[in-house]
Order: sequence, then structure tokens, then C-alpha cells
Amino acid sequence: MRWRLAVAGWAMAAVGVSPAMFAFQAGTLPLPAPALKSYVLYVAEDHDVHAGKRTVLELHFRVADGYHVNSHTPKSVLLIPTDVVLQPAAGISEETAEYPAGKNYSFSFDPSNKLSVYTGDFVVKVPVVATAGAHTISGKLHYQACDHAACYPPRDLPVQIIFTAR
Amino acid sequence: MFQVKRRALVLGVMIVGIALMVWAGVHNLRARRLAMQKAQENHVELIPGSAGQPGKVDESDADDEGEEPSLRGKVAPAFSLTTLDGKKVSLADYKGKAVLVNFWATWCGPCRIEMPWFQQFQKQYADQGLVILGLVDDVDAGDAAIAKVAGKAGVTYPILLADGKVQKAYGGVDVLPMSFYVGRNGVIVEETAGLGPKDQIEAHIKAALASSASGAPSGGQ
Repeated sequence: MRWRLAVAGWAMAAVGVSPAMFAFQAGTLPLPAPALKSYVLYVAEDHDVHAGKRTVLELHFRVADGYHVNSHTPKSVLLIPTDVVLQPAAGISEETAEYPAGKNYSFSFDPSNKLSVYTGDFVVKVPVVATAGAHTISGKLHYQACDHAACYPPRDLPVQIIFTAR
Repeated sequence: MFQVKRRALVLGVMIVGIALMVWAGVHNLRARRLAMQKAQENHVELIPGSAGQPGKVDESDADDEGEEPSLRGKVAPAFSLTTLDGKKVSLADYKGKAVLVNFWATWCGPCRIEMPWFQQFQKQYADQGLVILGLVDDVDAGDAAIAKVAGKAGVTYPILLADGKVQKAYGGVDVLPMSFYVGRNGVIVEETAGLGPKDQIEAHIKAALASSASGAPSGGQ
């Protein structure tokens, strides 16, 4: 059986963002940063799986160059962990999501304070078992981003996974 | 007669062809605009090439998309907030003083770096009329966590619980730390986003202190 993992609407558009667009956005720190933009992209991928059997869905995310987000297990309780929250969907049983280990990071102005962060690409794995047929899983990625001089309020990146088990 | 009909037919075909091309062009342009709009809703936040040199923020630096204008040169928006101790503090309480309004959050590393600097400047320039107010953005962290972070930074200046309205009044505060240096006349002398050099912060404080209280506009203070 082949499951097709895809994202709907906005996320599909997000995948098509070109490096030129990143470059276009480069500039001095804005005041304030636009509220509706995101520091993290969701990148859709196809998966081949068998219906009725445990399958690990890989959710690929990409943190914008120059930024980092806390890992799922930051080294301070004050820091906001990166979390994928998926809503229950009919015909799908989910197991606890598996997160990658964070990379060690320190702000240049505070080298003694070690952080655990994600930069660049990172993958969250979600083991599921689903019945044959069309499915949609909706959810969000909750994260809080910083660059090397400023931090940005926590954001939710909507995630909608649409696939069909045949 | 036949030639006239033929010419008319060719002309008609040409007109239809051109009309189809124009329609296709418009349709394509519309589709591309829609695709761009969708992409822009999710594209990655701008990469501040000068992030790390936050300091001054010029209005000309602002992105055209949804950017709030700079508040520099405008009367500081009034606010009345509660401190961690449960006291009411208003910006208007400090009329004639230079006030540094600093937005911060418990999860913000750069914020925690500059808070001890502010504490030092508070002591250094208090006699000259400087007041520093720390407005904590993430009140949901809880009083204990807020007090812990402030205490660890050695802060004794008032920590106020931002109520959401004050963030909006100050342009949204989507970057932390964010500071507004309010002159004695109630006008914002300078505003900064992100962690700036300590000497730059001091320069902004001096600029606020140097402002004249005379002819103060009636506003926040």
C-alpha cells in the first residue's frame, strides 16, 4: 500500500519558497517583526507504507538560516520546547512522537549558558497505524525562535497531513 | 466576394486568437499572484543581516508588509500596569523623568543579558532622573518564574506585568528585548529591538536624560 503524505494549501506553497525569497527578506532587524510570518517551514514528503501496520511518518521541518529554535528538551525549564501536537483522527492511532537530539549552542554574549537547539533541517517522527483509505491529520508545531541577538514570541506552525492508504 | 469573406474570416480568427492569448495571460498572472500570496503567508521570517547589531531601528528599515511604524519622536503611549508586588504603576507617575521602558520575557536569553546592565544604569543615573521599567511579556510564566529571573539578574527596578494592550500600543513587540527610551517631555527619543551594545544603551539613556521637560506634550507621561 502506498500512503501519500502531503500538506494542504499554505504548506504546499511554503515548500516552493525559493532562496531568492530568503535573500529578498534579508535586512536589518525590523521593528517589530511581522506577526504572521514563520521562522520554520514544514516540508512535505511522500511515504510508502502498509495499511494496518505500524508506520513511522517523518515530519520534516526547516529552520530559517540565522535562527534557532529550542529542541524538544531544552536545558532550562524557562525555555519553551519545540513540540508537535497532532489532533486525533478517525482510523489512525498515533504513538508518542520521536524528536531528534538538539545541537549544543551558546549565545556569543553568554558562552557559559549552554542551550539545546534545532537549526537547519530537523525531523520529527510520528509512528502511526491507520486503516486503509483517505486520512487527514491536523496539528501544529509549537516553537520559539531566536537569532543571535533577539528572540521572538512562541509561534504555532499549522500542519495538515493528507494521505491515502491503499 | 470570396476574398472579402476570407479576409473577414482570417480577421475573426486573429481576433479570437488574440483574445484567447490575453485571457490566458490574465489568468496566468492571477494564478501566480495567488500562489505568491500563499507562499508569502508561510515564507521564512526575514533574516536580519544586521541581527546582532540591533540598536537603532529606522523607519526606512521596516518591511512594508504589516510593519508598524517607529514610535521615535512620538509621545510614549500611556499605560497603567501591576507590579509583581501588586502595586499599580503608570507611566504618567514619572512625568519629568527619563524613562526606559524595556519589554522582556523569561524565555528570552538576550533579555537576561541586558537586565543587569539596566540595573547598573538605574543606580548610576537615578540621581539625574532615570527610571527603568521592565515590562514582562510572558505573564503566563507565573509570578514565581518572573521573580526568579528578575532576582537572578539582580533587578530591583519595577517589573510590570504587561497586559497585552501595552504591547499593541508599543507596536506589537514581536521582537525581544525591545526598549523605548522616553525623554523627560514624554516623547520617545529612541527605540531598539534585540540586544545592543552596552555603551549604546548608555548613550540612549543619556539622550533621554538630556531631553528637556519644558513644553512637554500631554501624553503618556
